[in-house]
Amino acid sequence: MGDYREMWSKLQMDLEKHDILCEALPQAFGDIYLTQENRPEAMNYFNYALAEVHGARIQELQEEKEKGKKVVGTFCVFVPDEVILATGAVGVGLCSGSQFWIEDGEKVLPRNLCPLVKAFMGAKVSRTCPYFQSCDMIIGETTCDGKKKAYEILEDYMPVHVMELPQMKRKKNYEEWQDEIKLFIKKMEELTGNEVTVEKLRKSIDLCNRKRRALKRLYDLRKHTPSPISGLDALLVSQVAFLDDIERFIEKTNELCDELEERVKNLKANGKKRIVVTGTPMAVPNWKLHSIVEGLDAEIVVEETCTGTRYFENKVSTEGETIEDLVKNLADRYMKINCACFTPNDGRIDDVIRLVEEYKADGVINYNLSFCHTYAIEYEKLEKALKEKNIPVLNVETDYSEEDAGQIKTRVEAFLEMI
Amino acid sequence: MEKNYILFPNHSQGLKLEAVLKANKIKYVISPTPRKLSSCCGISIMYRKEDEERIKTLIEENSVEVTGLYTLE
Repeated sequence: MGDYREMWSKLQMDLEKHDILCEALPQAFGDIYLTQENRPEAMNYFNYALAEVHGARIQELQEEKEKGKKVVGTFCVFVPDEVILATGAVGVGLCSGSQFWIEDGEKVLPRNLCPLVKAFMGAKVSRTCPYFQSCDMIIGETTCDGKKKAYEILEDYMPVHVMELPQMKRKKNYEEWQDEIKLFIKKMEELTGNEVTVEKLRKSIDLCNRKRRALKRLYDLRKHTPSPISGLDALLVSQVAFLDDIERFIEKTNELCDELEERVKNLKANGKKRIVVTGTPMAVPNWKLHSIVEGLDAEIVVEETCTGTRYFENKVSTEGETIEDLVKNLADRYMKINCACFTPNDGRIDDVIRLVEEYKADGVINYNLSFCHTYAIEYEKLEKALKEKNIPVLNVETDYSEEDAGQIKTRVEAFLEMI
Repeated sequence: MEKNYILFPNHSQGLKLEAVLKANKIKYVISPTPRKLSSCCGISIMYRKEDEERIKTLIEENSVEVTGLYTLE
């Protein structure tokens, strides 16, 4: 349990307000996660990581900082962790998944904006996210207009470096992204005082690839019918991946996979509909869609999202002798991510169709955070392509509030009956 | 349903007991500490009532520091 109030005070957090968040989490997690039956034993580690998400993990970050390490926060799977690690810094994904932060976010941002953007601003403005408070710098990117402009406001609160992500995938765009990675390296070198060498960068590429492999192993196990792990639990693992110590995360995820490999030997068909979720990310503690779907007669078997396959698919090659070579390898891998910020983005549609086949899914749910225009617009093409293949699809546009949970449940229920 | 929790002065003691329970094949679940039991964030361990006496002995034998064992209705 531990008393972290002194640490939070030192991080200049608003203790009174943060306490409201602390009060809600155990109940929410208990209701959604601990009521699931027959969970893998190895999920205990991820329960721990979640329970200590603002506690022990933050303490570890302070210990790293005392040793002179820098902590940088990120919001997007396009920011290459390899660079952060190569300068000896620690990267963390930032708080942006709770309704709790929306009200404060709306104090500085328009209301008709994506909840993820409002939540991260709210988390900073209200000083209730210890990750934000631990960060020496935030690494932003231009994946959407909301974030792009919000970083300008965030700069009033802390140092921000924004990477310009190209929005097309032509040869010149790959080269532009290489240049951005080089600028990022320079920025990180300045911040940390540590030079990025070929050896260090290759080592960090290798580490991130190992993390990707562990997540891929977990997702591959979900291809079994029935899946040996619930979508909720797999989502939690993905969410923890953004916050945890990498070596420990790899070890614990592989332990979980070892257990799941044993499980699949004795699993009996459960008749549940198998669902692919595609769309916008689900940051901690956003478990809304998964808890609705899995509260019905269905299991989510894969997420084609930034908190799913987009985070770990494709490896970075370690081939090459120079920083230039490795930067090119990084750009090549990251530019393969099929985000709706690109035009065109047909690769995403191909991915969804491929995943439906690979995971033997019965249907697709497009998860669209409110006011996320790129994904909302892209739905038209996605729906058309899926219908041509006779793959049932449902579009759910929602935010973090619970107001529409009943309505979504009714719609998902009807969808499941139809497929 | 009745739920049983072990609370700790810090997370390291919680993980220490977890390792002991695992080695002794006693079923447990790591959980965020319920607000009703403490206003501090962090982990506690849920256990089955029938294992309580054995767990108490193991806590003693392995000198794990605990804040207490609690039952919530």
